[in-house]
Amino acid sequence: MSSEQDHLKETDTEARFEFKKEENSAVRSDKGLTEEVIRMISEDKDEPDWMLERRLRALEQYQNMPMPTDWPGQPDLTELDIEEIVPYIRPDVDKREGVDDWTELPDEIKDTFDKLGIPEAEKNALSGVGAQYESEVVYQNMQEQWEEKGVIFMNMDRAVQEHPELVKEHFMTTCVPPSDNKFAALHGAVWSGGSFVYVPEDVTVEMPVQAYFRMNSEGMGQFEHTLIIAEEGSEVHYIEGCSAPKYGTHNLHSGGVEVFVGEDAHVQYSTVQNWSKNTFNLNTKRAICEANGTMEWVSGSMGSKATMLYPCTILKGRGSTDTHITIAFAGEGQDIDTGAKVYHNAPDTSSTIESKSISKDGGRTNYRGLVHIADGAENSSTAVECDALMFDNESTSDTMPYMEIEESKVDVAHEATVGKIGDEDIFYLQSRGLDDDDAKKMIVAGFIEPITEELPIEYAVELNRLIELEMEGSLG
Amino acid sequence: MSTQLHANLTEEQVRQISGDLDEPDWLLEIRLEALEALEELDMPDVIRTPGRDWTNLHELDFESLVDPLNAAENKDQVGPDEAEVLPWADAVAEHEALLKEHFGSIVDPQENYLTALSTALFSTGTVVYVPEGVDAEAVTIRTEQNSRSLFNYTLVVTEESSSVTILERQSTGSEQDEQYYSGIVEVAAGENSYVQYGSLQNLSEDAYNFTVKRGVTDTYATIDWIEGNVGTQLTKTEVSTELNGDSSETQIVGAFYGHNDQHFDLDAKVWHRAEHTTADLVTRGVTDDVARSVYEGVQDVGEGAWDTSSYQRENTLMLSDESEADASPKLIINNHDTEASHSATVGQIDQEDLLYMTSRGVDPRSARNMLVEGFFVPVLDEVDVDELRDDLEGLIRQRLHARD
Repeated sequence: MSSEQDHLKETDTEARFEFKKEENSAVRSDKGLTEEVIRMISEDKDEPDWMLERRLRALEQYQNMPMPTDWPGQPDLTELDIEEIVPYIRPDVDKREGVDDWTELPDEIKDTFDKLGIPEAEKNALSGVGAQYESEVVYQNMQEQWEEKGVIFMNMDRAVQEHPELVKEHFMTTCVPPSDNKFAALHGAVWSGGSFVYVPEDVTVEMPVQAYFRMNSEGMGQFEHTLIIAEEGSEVHYIEGCSAPKYGTHNLHSGGVEVFVGEDAHVQYSTVQNWSKNTFNLNTKRAICEANGTMEWVSGSMGSKATMLYPCTILKGRGSTDTHITIAFAGEGQDIDTGAKVYHNAPDTSSTIESKSISKDGGRTNYRGLVHIADGAENSSTAVECDALMFDNESTSDTMPYMEIEESKVDVAHEATVGKIGDEDIFYLQSRGLDDDDAKKMIVAGFIEPITEELPIEYAVELNRLIELEMEGSLG
Repeated sequence: MSTQLHANLTEEQVRQISGDLDEPDWLLEIRLEALEALEELDMPDVIRTPGRDWTNLHELDFESLVDPLNAAENKDQVGPDEAEVLPWADAVAEHEALLKEHFGSIVDPQENYLTALSTALFSTGTVVYVPEGVDAEAVTIRTEQNSRSLFNYTLVVTEESSSVTILERQSTGSEQDEQYYSGIVEVAAGENSYVQYGSLQNLSEDAYNFTVKRGVTDTYATIDWIEGNVGTQLTKTEVSTELNGDSSETQIVGAFYGHNDQHFDLDAKVWHRAEHTTADLVTRGVTDDVARSVYEGVQDVGEGAWDTSSYQRENTLMLSDESEADASPKLIINNHDTEASHSATVGQIDQEDLLYMTSRGVDPRSARNMLVEGFFVPVLDEVDVDELRDDLEGLIRQRLHARD
């Protein structure tokens, strides 16, 4: 453990996320949300009319919906002033659809992703990489072997142009319509960038594909859209990473993720979120699972000032399966309100939710989850397990599960525990020669292991490092 | 909606109720303030998830239910000689100082629309006073409702190192199409005292029921609640304890059995507000036919509540495919020196258990009935008062046997 800690100092993880770059944009929208801004974004992207119409309809829905304020114990959103957010910044790069060679990028952008270690990871562990800077995807590449098999991994803006039928059918229609919630409507109006992933029938993409989202400018909003279509019998693992340097004013991240899991298909969606602590992270993520399909959500939420995120799976097909593994870490001034939603709408469906949270230095974590078993979803089962670890008395740890069971032939179990780090555990480790600090770190690492073992080793190491960093100096 | 109701209720009615009971001015004042507040107050909170309200209180047609001046009931209030068990009017006459100290101090009359309504209009009640060092067993309060609406109030005060066991029952005498029962119970448990408050609600299945039972503990005090719900078409209840004294404890044990189109919205809440406090919440229930149960459990640990232990379990057994069981067990933890857990399950009768029983020669119907009765055993075991346990068991059995 100690040796790894030295390693942490060497790599200087904090500096890797905290650096800022001069804003160097080609196009920057006005602040706030007006029809002119929407038209400007759509025009700058040279979008077809149908997409502009969808944006304008979403804008109207956004304006007619109230801010969510009446959820019990929800994070305070009063400091979030959407009229002060810049929704669209296109960085100054030559090639609009994203280059496939890092060296073609402007130095400050290449340098950013170098520091974040993305090109390095691409070489070692990934099938494809997309990198978004502000509102645009600036880099996109996938290994040829997957392209040959018909796998599509491209930025969402380009997909609108090149695969209009697929996008028209799936983009914010049945999965996450803008009417779902206020921030989904906002997203529908101003979305920009993100990934489009299409995996043909029976193709297994063996190594994960990754997208990295970086916000660099102060006061901006990032609204990337991810659409994943996994056809029958296919398999893919998508990873997203996010970060931003910290500014005095608030940034907003309001992404939209839609996943279509075909029959017998298997999709894993992993997120390591490390937004700066001035960012409001208000996302809508949802998957629709056909018969015998499997959806797995793995989420690590470390960053942001306030997060409200409840990845949702609709188990639509008989025998489909959902797994949620989430970990939330809230430090000083952070309110991480996250959880899971699962709708069992077919017989023989099963879901497992495993949530771990750590709160310290006055941070608040909340597990908020809903499991709905519809009438007729016979032989469905769900198991929910929430564990919370608290470091000190300034912190808060809440658990708010909701279960709606309309079917009797089911097996439903929910369990939650909250506790502090066990003095006996620490004593035991100390008696083996570890100091207090290392003992606590080791206990935390063990606590989150169910999550880290789901991630490729590079990410697991990254997650551990981030948590160690969060704990640095605050213990012992 | 509140304005509609308000049009039907007058200050005069409230004055008359208070006057008939010979209440002092300060009590009348509290009632009048509650009446006035009706206009601004909301219905009690219900759980809402996207697109669904777990209980829709706004469907209640209060205007036709509330008939404040024609309350009628049959009441039995008995207890041992050592403790005082007084009808409300007698308590007003004999214990004004005690009432002034405690009335409305635990359940805020203006907490919501229905508590205010109850405070403004209650015409009957019971005060149980247990002096220092006294052990009072078998206090019984039976209420039989014989009118369209009935508003009831109960206050329990235990002095240092005393103990009391209370059994409360509500039932319906003369049935009407629709009836409304509303009850507020406040328990102030003094230092090192023990209160067991058992309640069995068996009102008519046309009745609506709104009840809040809340207790506050002093140092070393214990409040144990037993809450049985069998009757009514719609019940909204809260049973809760505020653990205000160091080393105090509470237990909330619930049992319910809903059939036909009954709807139970049951809350069990505990607030840990002192050091070394312990809470244990156990609820078991059955839903049959198209009945729906809604359970909300809250374990709230305050910042100063060092060394807290808090446990919660809820289990629902679904006997019919058309019934619905919703549950939301919540943990709100602000002190890290806490050991807390909760769990909730929903399921049907275990097929293997059933097979085992039938393989031993028990016919399927009896086997099922035995398994359901067995399901309630962990809850029934917590009941100290034989009468309450037997009655609860009897009602469960009766309902099971009426099933086929």
